[in-house]
Amino acid sequence: MNLEFNEDQIDALREFMNVSIGAATASMANLLDAFGTMHIPKIEICNSDELADKIEASIDSNSMYFVIKQLFTGKFGGECMFVISQESALNLGNYLYNAKNSSYDDISDAVLELTNILTSTIISRLTQELDTQVQFFVPSLQFLDSTSVVSDDDVAEYSKIIIISTVLDFEDKQIKGNIYVLTKDKAIESLKILIDKKIEEIYG
Amino acid sequence: MKVLVVDDSKIARMGVIKSIKEVYPNAQLLQAINGLEAVELYEKENPDVVFLDLTMPVMDGYEALGKIMEINKEAQVIVITADIQNEAKLRVLVAGAKNMYPKPINGEIMAKIFKQDILL
Repeated sequence: MNLEFNEDQIDALREFMNVSIGAATASMANLLDAFGTMHIPKIEICNSDELADKIEASIDSNSMYFVIKQLFTGKFGGECMFVISQESALNLGNYLYNAKNSSYDDISDAVLELTNILTSTIISRLTQELDTQVQFFVPSLQFLDSTSVVSDDDVAEYSKIIIISTVLDFEDKQIKGNIYVLTKDKAIESLKILIDKKIEEIYG
Repeated sequence: MKVLVVDDSKIARMGVIKSIKEVYPNAQLLQAINGLEAVELYEKENPDVVFLDLTMPVMDGYEALGKIMEINKEAQVIVITADIQNEAKLRVLVAGAKNMYPKPINGEIMAKIFKQDILL
């Protein structure tokens, strides 16, 4: 199985993801009544044993994190992971509950709700771009330090992983989070076929 | 007619170009992959219309729009972006863009843009 992507495939995937994140940023902007700065999505293909280090390198090692993972299945199946620092999560909880110091349960609830909006918007928009569909599983929430975001169990079924990552940045509300979309080997092959079909449609 | 298409993504530029060709098959097309290239090409080529993305490396679309409007306050710039926030639209309209449309666009939308937003 050839799991490598060529330049045009990476470019197309980044652009589809950009459109998807744009939709998610707008949904969050409505929720937070704030303007979100969009960042260019980063696409990386790595071995599963490199994932933990790559994620650790993209977040602050001194913070604790709420980590929400949501599986989705279909031709393009995988896992969406939202990583938000304790501080950002508290700001989110305080804003949504109009409180000064939200409880852990309220923060967890706010983060889960936010993740639900983000994941469903990003993945649904991405699969719409790719003319396919997915089913979502119930998300799970953990409170972890930066070195524990990815466990060995998380990557046990993967060999190669595509990491599509970006930062959601609502500076006015001091809310910032990292989104990672991880896909398994079989999904990578399906994804390449879907992308090639779209490239053919556009390039003619 | 000379049209400048600015986007860091090749597939996004191709999508815009395909739509333009459906409406104006003989349009002369120029391409830039970031805001800086766009400003330099605008100054050199003086295109009739610019289709500009916002989220780009080197120089983003907001800055490029400002610089193009400084070069020519009558510049016809249409922003085509994934950023569909109302505030993003407000910002680009205040900065002088003729209009802003969400990605991706097709021939039908492009025909509407040339009919409603562009003076030729």
